[in-house]
Amino acid sequence: MRRLFVGLTAVSVLVVATACGSSGSGGPDGTGSSGGLTTVKVGLIPIVDVAPLYLGRQKGFFEKHGLKLSLSNAQGGAAIVPGVTAGQFQFGFSNTTSLMIAQSHNVPVRAVANGIASTGEQGKDFGAITVKGDSPVRSPKELEGKKVAINTLKNINETAVRASVRKAGGDPDQVDFVELAFDQMPAALDGGRIDAAMAVEPALATIKNQGGREIASAMVDIAPKLTVALYFTSTRYAQQNPDVVKRFQEATAESLAYADSHPDEVRAVVTSYTKIPPEVLAKVTLPKWPAEPNRSSIEALARLGEADGLFKQAPDLDALLP
Amino acid sequence: MRGENAVLGAAGLAAFLAAGEAVPRLGLVKEEYFPPTSRIADALVTEAGDGTFWAALGSTLTGWALGLALAAGAGIVAGVLLSVVPYLREATASTVEFLRPIPSVALIPLAVLLYGTELRSVLLLVVYAAFWQVLIQVLYGVQDVDPVAEETARSYGLGGWARVRYVLWPTALPYVMTGVRLAAAVALILAVTAELVIGAPGLGARIAVAQTSQAVPEMYALIVVTGLLGLLINVGARSVERRALAWHQSVRGEVAV
Repeated sequence: MRRLFVGLTAVSVLVVATACGSSGSGGPDGTGSSGGLTTVKVGLIPIVDVAPLYLGRQKGFFEKHGLKLSLSNAQGGAAIVPGVTAGQFQFGFSNTTSLMIAQSHNVPVRAVANGIASTGEQGKDFGAITVKGDSPVRSPKELEGKKVAINTLKNINETAVRASVRKAGGDPDQVDFVELAFDQMPAALDGGRIDAAMAVEPALATIKNQGGREIASAMVDIAPKLTVALYFTSTRYAQQNPDVVKRFQEATAESLAYADSHPDEVRAVVTSYTKIPPEVLAKVTLPKWPAEPNRSSIEALARLGEADGLFKQAPDLDALLP
Repeated sequence: MRGENAVLGAAGLAAFLAAGEAVPRLGLVKEEYFPPTSRIADALVTEAGDGTFWAALGSTLTGWALGLALAAGAGIVAGVLLSVVPYLREATASTVEFLRPIPSVALIPLAVLLYGTELRSVLLLVVYAAFWQVLIQVLYGVQDVDPVAEETARSYGLGGWARVRYVLWPTALPYVMTGVRLAAAVALILAVTAELVIGAPGLGARIAVAQTSQAVPEMYALIVVTGLLGLLINVGARSVERRALAWHQSVRGEVAV
């Protein structure tokens, strides 16, 4: 028993010592260099959208620009924005509205590269307002008074659904929005717990597989070729490391262009970091990956967001966008 | 008696698994959202053949073990100090009672701000949750010291350290072991929760990826793994407890019956 006590004490002292030691290690902003390459940590969400970075890393586009990518999966943007501003990640992936909301709350973020864009084609986008196959709802106008699921209230998907309802001649304030994670939408729709769902891939493919029907490509209703998401960094990091940011922009642009023209390789690389079943993945509609963000579409998104009261103050797009 | 229990236990498990197979097959719930046992087992086999699964399991166990060791070490040292040093217990009681009920998951935003999605944010949550389990048990254990034994030790001229070692520690040990056993289970819950919510690498993050990927059988398979892990940890903690307390009447009594 003496041995046990001594052992326990020794272990605890040792562990406390290592924990204290490890908190001091690593650079202040977490960047490190190895073999002439600058390591940058990027906070991502494990979804199809971020495939270009995985593909670009695989193809050596980032290495060519002197960058070593360390890709971390975070559970949603809620962990990425604080991670980037606190310096755990140098770059992160976030939807455009979230970045504008962050900026309007004086969170120091700055977009550096395009993330994804909608395909711009009605009925052929990666996100859509869906209803059950036997639902009487045919047009977004009929969503008035209906329960519509979106993944986050007061964010880009609410703007999108409201835009579709408005465009169809309905009153978006009459829609009953409920918050539901994308992956739970197919079951909720099928079980009749919601009347419609603003779903994105791969949940969209699942919904269509079980007989669900699209009534509008809501992202397209905001603006043609909407820039839905962006890669961003903190303003501090952008000021202190303009060279790294520039190289990240160049490598990302190259990766986006490559991904956009090689959909088969995209589908292959997606299996390396998600678990989307092959039969679903084959049916998934891929987003567009233009190399540059579409400024006019972001302005439209900002206007709609302002009208819907999403921002504390009007977002300053000149300061936010690259 | 033992054999009968084992047979009953196996029968219960078999019935449970059969129900899991039958309920979706009969269409009582949709197969897409609640796959039958056989499909979950199939996904489990596929997972077991994947190197990244074992890496995730390793990450979860690392977070659990480090967190538990830290919490147990700190809890024991703090508990003994609080009880032995005069007035310290009274001075800290209100603070402890204030901090202890704070659910560890409420610290997730803090963990993300401080440590992002790294192991350290998992450790923060695990240690915070497990620490109180150990500390409180140690405090109770020390209170349980027999005053006669304590007085006897004093009259035999035992010093402070010797009294901690020969009187306080043997009395507190059963409590400590209970605390560590409870902490082991809590630590696993918090490790998986942290990974699931924050996205720190591990089984929890893998469950989240399966969930967002619409990979339903894989998601259930991973949940089963966390369940098995909990079972193993509980069995392990009990056997450690039995060994460490083999001399104690509670354990000796159990064997005699």
